[in-house]
Amino acid sequence: MKVCLSSTGTTLDSNVDPRFGRCAYFIIYDTSTDTFEYYANESRDAMGGAGIQAAQKVIEKGAEAVISGNIGPNSFKVLQSAPGGPVKIYSGVSGTIRSAIAQLKNNELKPVTSSSVQSHYGMGSGMGRS
Amino acid sequence: MIISVASGKGGTGKTTVAVALARSINYCQFIDYDVEAPNASLFLKPDIKYIKKVTIRQPYFLTNTDKSFKRCADFCHYNAVASIGDEVVFFSELCHGCGGCILVGPEGAVREKDVEIGEISKGFCPPGINFLMGNLKPGNMRTPTVQNELEKNIEYDNHVIIDCPPGTSCSMVMSVKNSDFCILVTEPTPFGLNDLMISVDVLKNLKIPFGVIVNRFGIGNDEVLNYCKNNNIKIIAKIPNDLNIAKYYSKGLSLIDFDPIWKNKFNDIISEIEKEVLKK
Ligand code: SF4
Repeated sequence: MKVCLSSTGTTLDSNVDPRFGRCAYFIIYDTSTDTFEYYANESRDAMGGAGIQAAQKVIEKGAEAVISGNIGPNSFKVLQSAPGGPVKIYSGVSGTIRSAIAQLKNNELKPVTSSSVQSHYGMGSGMGRS
Repeated sequence: MIISVASGKGGTGKTTVAVALARSINYCQFIDYDVEAPNASLFLKPDIKYIKKVTIRQPYFLTNTDKSFKRCADFCHYNAVASIGDEVVFFSELCHGCGGCILVGPEGAVREKDVEIGEISKGFCPPGINFLMGNLKPGNMRTPTVQNELEKNIEYDNHVIIDCPPGTSCSMVMSVKNSDFCILVTEPTPFGLNDLMISVDVLKNLKIPFGVIVNRFGIGNDEVLNYCKNNNIKIIAKIPNDLNIAKYYSKGLSLIDFDPIWKNKFNDIISEIEKEVLKK
């Protein structure tokens, strides 16, 4: 199974990035071969809808599951509409990529069925109205 | 004459001042420009007589036609369109209605329709306040579009009091840009001062004359007063920090109900502003 993780860096010792849409990198990990590739998240500087763009890319990459710290409702909606069926979403995960994969393999992660943060979490709107 | 009431920081008493001004002159137009969270109607209790929907044009996508909408998704600067396979996920709240996806998308498969984003309401509060407010649907980003609709209804030949949204973003600029004078309401705290300084910069840039009303006078420190003094900014009034004023407020009553003396004070304030505006 191909799993996509939001990551702060490009190795298995990087941390799971708490933000999905605005993370630094995505790591695509293949649990059947234990290999991975990574790509920089081009959506991180998007004006808005970063998660929407990032989620489209994740689907294009063929990931069947996503692991991240927080996944907003818009990204959620897109991930749910993948042509091969909804992408499994594991949110609220922290620590290194390596440990997240280990937890996934040990069935310690529970997929979530609704988004963990409000829309625009990543835009700083939490700081009062701007 | 248009007087706007603004504040950098929310919750400083902007609406309190705006309502008290309107209730002091009694014959004017009152506009609540805070379309994201309008609340002046709680105090003025207008009889709403007219409501008009505000709409924008937004695209819709004819899917199931084997056409790809990927170019729409790539084009949209606001990422309001996601294209997955031949499916489309559209985020109406993010769409600015620019029409770009119609131009770049598969011919005939992206159409346009009217979508409601809010409304404006007109009402009346005796004896002579023409009330106007805007309401943006929750989650929508098109604040200025609703404000534009308000702007079309400004009664330029009347006294106009504008209650602005808090902050100094574009929605605040939209609210103050037509005014002859702006009253900045602040509180004498470090937060109040910080946000006051930002508002002052904005108004100076817009070349709108302004003065300051210090609310909850008595709390905090002297920094706001010193800042105004050092920068030659006029302090129009100080409203004392009084629990009873807050109690009146929480019941939807105004400063004038609390102490009628404010009616005279605000009338004086308006006469003085008028003199200053006419001097120009
Ligand atoms: S109309 Fe403009 S903003 Fe709206 S979805 Fe199309 S391209 Fe994006």
